Amino acid sequence: MNILRWLVFGIAAIAMNFPVIVTLITSFKSAKEIAMNPGLIVQAPTFANYARVLTDTSRFNIYAYLFNSTVAAFIGSFLALLLTLPAAYAIVRTGVGKKHLLPVVANLRAVPLVVFAIPLYMMFQFVGLLDTRIGLGLILTIVNLPLSLMMMVNAISDIPGEIDEAARMDRASAFVILRRIVGPVIRPAIVTAFIFGFITAWNEYLFGLMLTTRQAVPITVGSSFFFSASGGGVQWGIASAVMVLGAMPPAILGCLIYRQLTGSMTAGAVKG
Amino acid sequence: MRTIPQQREGRLLLVPLVTFLLVFLSFPALVDIVYALSDVTFQTMRAPELVGLRNFGTVLADPEFWSACWFSLRFGGLTAFIECALGLALAIFLSPIVCRYGWTIAILMLPMMVAPSMVGLMYRLVLHEFAGPLPYYLTLWSGTSPAFLDAGHAFWTLVVVEVLQWTPFAFLLFHVAYISISSEIREAAAMDKAGAWRILWRIELPMMKATIAIALGIRFIDGFRVFDNVFTLTGAGAGGSTTSLSIYIYQSFFKGGQIGQAVAASALLFFTSLIVLYAGGMLKSYRERRRVAA
Repeated sequence: MNILRWLVFGIAAIAMNFPVIVTLITSFKSAKEIAMNPGLIVQAPTFANYARVLTDTSRFNIYAYLFNSTVAAFIGSFLALLLTLPAAYAIVRTGVGKKHLLPVVANLRAVPLVVFAIPLYMMFQFVGLLDTRIGLGLILTIVNLPLSLMMMVNAISDIPGEIDEAARMDRASAFVILRRIVGPVIRPAIVTAFIFGFITAWNEYLFGLMLTTRQAVPITVGSSFFFSASGGGVQWGIASAVMVLGAMPPAILGCLIYRQLTGSMTAGAVKG
Repeated sequence: MRTIPQQREGRLLLVPLVTFLLVFLSFPALVDIVYALSDVTFQTMRAPELVGLRNFGTVLADPEFWSACWFSLRFGGLTAFIECALGLALAIFLSPIVCRYGWTIAILMLPMMVAPSMVGLMYRLVLHEFAGPLPYYLTLWSGTSPAFLDAGHAFWTLVVVEVLQWTPFAFLLFHVAYISISSEIREAAAMDKAGAWRILWRIELPMMKATIAIALGIRFIDGFRVFDNVFTLTGAGAGGSTTSLSIYIYQSFFKGGQIGQAVAASALLFFTSLIVLYAGGMLKSYRERRRVAA
């Protein structure tokens, strides 16, 4: 019976990860080999594609895309936490905002993102935030708010009230309590929420596509440049190397925290 | 222990979040309302000319809008159903090995960590008629390979792509729900000589009912608003057979420059989702009240 289970696991794992496997394999093939051998066994592995992507930045600069993604995803994740941590504390401990604010933010997750894209495009054009990393980061914050708030609310609900009650007796302000007591206690949840938000923001595509053109292009959009028109079709080896590099940061982060992610993601989902 | 000063402090703590929401949601909403009622292009963006409800009429009379609606509904419904069925089966069948070897979860979770837009690009390679391994092996083994991305097949290709990437999400939800069913309940049922199937149908599945509903809901929403992987894999190509609602709005905005029409369509979408969410919330609280009453 367990052999059957391992078999099913193997098939599911390969089927679900198939595009990643194929891309990884292709990134080690030379252009000549790709033309002759589309199979999954590499005959003459080469790092030439990676070398080319990382050294020839004249047409498309992958460092810039990776940098843009990093900065925007950092802003998007960090700012979301900065906004939701105090709000979650207020919601859990005083009940303020529980009735309206919490459902409004939680339901943001269900609204199609394209609805925000057009008005924000106009707004950003007006204030000069189009095609900037900060502008992209601000929008990614919206994307991250619902899950970030849910995760913070869940984490703070798990702290016994007596812990900060004592501090409140001593007339410590909410700010001090958050920084000195609540923050340290729920640090694991904060780290998980940050990493999860970072992954979500890194993987976002629509806003990057609509709101950036040259200066702030994130890797999700930048990697599609390698597919479009370079005369004589797509250079699959190079495109694959770009995608492997672009998919690596969230994949590594995900593997580092997958245990916590399982719990917190489902918590966010179930209560949202 | 709720005192007045505490509530005042609570409101203060909400200020940053509320301010952010007001700036980034209410201003766009205002812009949306004005532009939805105006005749406006990229050139006349600062001076929209009010035309009443004409944009809404244009959108509602546009057959492409309705075919995009139909695509999104069908895509969301089908993928949600298949993902949850597969995820549930995997979660239950694999639970002995997944519980024992935690790293198996990491492998099954990996597809979710990759950007959907990149997965779409990756499938361009996987399905490519010359460079792609899938057509290569299919031709090798069976002699032919279908044109995965032509008008007749593109929809189902996209369904498979979406299902393979997001079944892990359903799997994960069900895995957590399944292992949190206490073993005492299972043991008690086994004591009564209930077989494994009977325990599954009569006890375990009913106990996971709420999770199943949530998973279906989340996956439907994500399938309905799909943009990234469809856009990078087929563009809006395949004879327009893969234009989701999100892609329709994006295209009427950027390609057509029909800003008023695009905004009207997105307003329709927004209000429809509001109504659905509100109805969902009502239903939930009604059920809860009934449960309390019972």
